[in-house]
Amino acid sequence: MPELSRPLPPEDRLVLLPKNPGTFFVFWQFSASRAESFRTASFSPEIELRLYYSDDKTPASSHKAQWQAGRAYLPVPERGGNCEAALYALRNGAWEKLLESNQAAAPVTAGMAEDRAYASLEFHKKVLS
Amino acid sequence: MSSRGSMLFVLHAHLPYVNHPEDSAFLEENWFFEAVVETYVPIISVLERLAAEGIRPGIAVSISPTLGAMLENEALEDKLGLYISSRLELLEKELDRAKDDPALLKTVKFYQKLYEDAAALMHKYSGDLITPLKSLQHAGQIEIITTAATHAVLPLLARPEAVRAQLAAAAEDYEDRFNRKPSGFWLPECAYEPRLNSYLKLSGFNYTFTESHALDSASAQAPNGVYSPYRTSNGLGLFARDAASSREVWSSKFGYPGDPAYREFYRDLGYDGDYDYVRPYLGSDGIRRPLGLKYHRITGPGADLSAKEYYDPEAALARVDAHASDFLARRMKQTDDFYAARGSRPLIVSCYDAELFGHWWFEGPAFLEAVIRKIRAERLPLQFVTPSEYLNSCQEPQEITPGISSWGENGYFDPWVNETNDFIYPAVYAATDKMIETANRFRNQDLSILNTRALNQAARETLLAQSSDWAFLLYIGSHADYAKKRLEAHAADALKLLGEVIEKRVDEQALAALEQQNNVFPRMNFRVFASVSKF
Repeated sequence: MPELSRPLPPEDRLVLLPKNPGTFFVFWQFSASRAESFRTASFSPEIELRLYYSDDKTPASSHKAQWQAGRAYLPVPERGGNCEAALYALRNGAWEKLLESNQAAAPVTAGMAEDRAYASLEFHKKVLS
Repeated sequence: MSSRGSMLFVLHAHLPYVNHPEDSAFLEENWFFEAVVETYVPIISVLERLAAEGIRPGIAVSISPTLGAMLENEALEDKLGLYISSRLELLEKELDRAKDDPALLKTVKFYQKLYEDAAALMHKYSGDLITPLKSLQHAGQIEIITTAATHAVLPLLARPEAVRAQLAAAAEDYEDRFNRKPSGFWLPECAYEPRLNSYLKLSGFNYTFTESHALDSASAQAPNGVYSPYRTSNGLGLFARDAASSREVWSSKFGYPGDPAYREFYRDLGYDGDYDYVRPYLGSDGIRRPLGLKYHRITGPGADLSAKEYYDPEAALARVDAHASDFLARRMKQTDDFYAARGSRPLIVSCYDAELFGHWWFEGPAFLEAVIRKIRAERLPLQFVTPSEYLNSCQEPQEITPGISSWGENGYFDPWVNETNDFIYPAVYAATDKMIETANRFRNQDLSILNTRALNQAARETLLAQSSDWAFLLYIGSHADYAKKRLEAHAADALKLLGEVIEKRVDEQALAALEQQNNVFPRMNFRVFASVSKF
């Protein structure tokens, strides 16, 4: 899996982005102190990514990940629409919310996608080759 | 004959900003040179020829700010001049090499004329191809629109400040370049989401374009489908792309560019020629690369590259004529069917990447010219209109909010967010967040000239990091190392400059080098990234 060649400043960040009608992409980073808490096992290594519906803040789904993974693809919850994510970590048996994301809107499936002529030069290049 | 329908033709011209003054033969700068010779010069020539004959093209051309900056960059113009001269020198040798092979000789002569025409047009406008475009717009022959500052996929920028910066920098760039305020906005990759309605309107834009399936998931039913414009609740005009007319040009199964008579893209003298013979025309690394001299035709579906036959320009032009007739016959059927069903005249919106015409589909500019000429010559009841003309003359469009969509593969954001390129987003967001935070911190402060320059350059670097091109090149595995290096360098340079301003230790020499290399948006003001309540 490709990675950046140089380190980024250690900062807390959780970003949720739309990918397609079925999938969100989420990535996270931690400040130096938070990362240290994971490294020294103050937090358990497994984190929880929880999705909420933005309109009423009701929980939509939750997904486990390893804290070092830094990114994940999450299925869009059943109701779709605007969602936001929160990242939780377990300390002394209790879940603590560490990060909150922006709102992201999931696209609605329009159908026929595979039949459409998508205009991208490189797509065109591929199909003509 | 009165019109039974209207056609809105949009050519979106964009290249990522590639400017390497430190290298006399930088590989990726060839993207620009090839596009100038094969696409921009032929399209401008077509438009000028038609206008001179009193045939108004009436198309919309989107020029991305990064491409506009390259077209006005004098150092790149000088390199382009050398590129064209070196090809003409090589073609002189090719005339001798091909003298006993009539089929090859014909194609070599054809290429010689192509490069001579490019040299002549560049000479006519002193190397600045913005001038003829501006003149064509001023004369009412075409409408020029813009796109996001560095072609960012806007729905992937979560921060409103980042979207605003992309829009504001683009609007200012357009005004500087074309001496008027922009009206139309091409969404990079046709990537739309509803929050862009207000952002675009607040930035002064009057209309934009979406993919056709954006209407399938719209807030209200679109009674005329893609055949009429719509408007958002805040008055932004919306045109939806017609899938049928796009498919005929783009599709591998039904598209015209796959015709056996058309030029084969992948056979190139840079790969085919004797190494010592072509070596002087390769880069300093000596690695074989395309030279833009492609002497073969597609020949047949699935034909092996080694089995390709020589390109025959006259045979290709005959196919252009047939394809233009077919394209128009299909548009006539669309308009007739719509008129029969609805009793009103449809608008057909056909949007393409400009570089398809000429660079990838070599015969594309000739096709465009043939289509426009045939409407006049055959007195077809179709008319080309520009977006502003149509919006100014049509009935009040119905209100609608299209669905989230793009024109990328599968119709959403998969090409720009997947396991080949998702690692870039932490870097993009690190630079963007820091830029916003720093702009807010210094927005009302009196700053030294040096600190202001550093913040403005950080804003340029941040915008360049947000370009859609890096993710796309990584996805298709083409120039992936270059894309990764560029993305990382822009993000790192933005963070470094912002840190230097905060710590009051700006490295002026390093700043000057960045200003020389990434010299887009000369009037950039870092405050464009500051938070604004209405955004």
